[in-house]
Amino acid sequence: MSLPRKVDPVSTTLLQRIKESLDSLNEKMEVMIEIQKHGSRGTNQSEIPDVLDVMTLLSLPDHLRKTAVTLCKLNHATADQVAEQTKRARAVESGYLNQLVLMGYIKKERRGRKAFFYVEREENQNERKAPWAKS
Amino acid sequence: MGKIIAIHSYKGGTGKTLLSINLAALYANRGKSVVLLDLDFRAPSLHAIFKVQDTDYWLNDYLNGVCEIQKVLVDLSQTYTKKGRLLVGFANPSTEAIREMTAKDRKWEMKALGRLLSLKPSLLSDIGLDYIILDTSPGLQYSSINAIVSADVVLVVSGMDISDIKGTQRMIDELYELFEKKTGLIMNKVFADILLSKTQRSELANKLMNSYSLPMIEMIPCFCDVLRTGSSTIFATEEQEHPFVKTLDRVATTIENL
Repeated sequence: MSLPRKVDPVSTTLLQRIKESLDSLNEKMEVMIEIQKHGSRGTNQSEIPDVLDVMTLLSLPDHLRKTAVTLCKLNHATADQVAEQTKRARAVESGYLNQLVLMGYIKKERRGRKAFFYVEREENQNERKAPWAKS
Repeated sequence: MGKIIAIHSYKGGTGKTLLSINLAALYANRGKSVVLLDLDFRAPSLHAIFKVQDTDYWLNDYLNGVCEIQKVLVDLSQTYTKKGRLLVGFANPSTEAIREMTAKDRKWEMKALGRLLSLKPSLLSDIGLDYIILDTSPGLQYSSINAIVSADVVLVVSGMDISDIKGTQRMIDELYELFEKKTGLIMNKVFADILLSKTQRSELANKLMNSYSLPMIEMIPCFCDVLRTGSSTIFATEEQEHPFVKTLDRVATTIENL
């Protein structure tokens, strides 16, 4: 029996959903592997301030520091874009980025099928105005 | 794309500001477009050297998110260079501003890092400037570490004082190496008699390079006439044939090729 040449739209949507679920599952597994590798220490959000400043960068293990500094430079990036800069595998960077999300240092948002990572630097209007600033 | 160069040291008084100013003027005199930023918010000095009393916006305002970087930069090309461009961003020297900057919290420092990192795309990529030179505060302070993280090249300036050498060694091991920065060493105010003898010079250079494990960019002798002017003369503009400028010329070329 030969396979149909065209896949109907319902099947396409279903396949896409399955792929997205697999991607999501894959990312969760990468995070679990990372946590197992490096221990759960450092992932308790209540113990660690969620500020990715230079002192935090200095305190991170080398592999996570490289990912975090790269994301700081890119501002808003996918695991692919970070991997391109660090010359490490996408799956590795995805694991590190997700670990940084769990540690509360960076944020993650989904846009369609892509996951974007970023450092939250929301501007507080009250602190924008310096006392000497001219209007 | 252009380069961001941070000039840093463990101790104060090593000559960072003097080197930053003259390196910026030297690149501008080579026809380059250069931005010089005073990141020493605890002890601002560029305003006094360039004799700028007031400005609409300070670098503090840019880091506070009050304005864009273009509003901070003062174009001093006409006074200091005939070939390139020299734009300077000043730190606010008022006591109120210094006090305010020293009381910033970690969240603010994180935002400041983001703003410093965005200088590369905004000034070097979009506008096409050649160099941003960051004159930092000494030691391990937020503003200087932020500058180091943002820079492509870090020049560490050290004197011959043993406390300076030991502190610089520690800083290299515990700071620069962690951020994988291209780093070069400048020994400043070295006794001229050591540098006159070729053997003594190379022995000293090897000894320092071994203990720092960094490439030695230059050993600059102590030029009394340069120190005597108290930074009121920008040698790279006004005394281009001076040996100090010739020495810095080699430094500028080395950085270009890094």
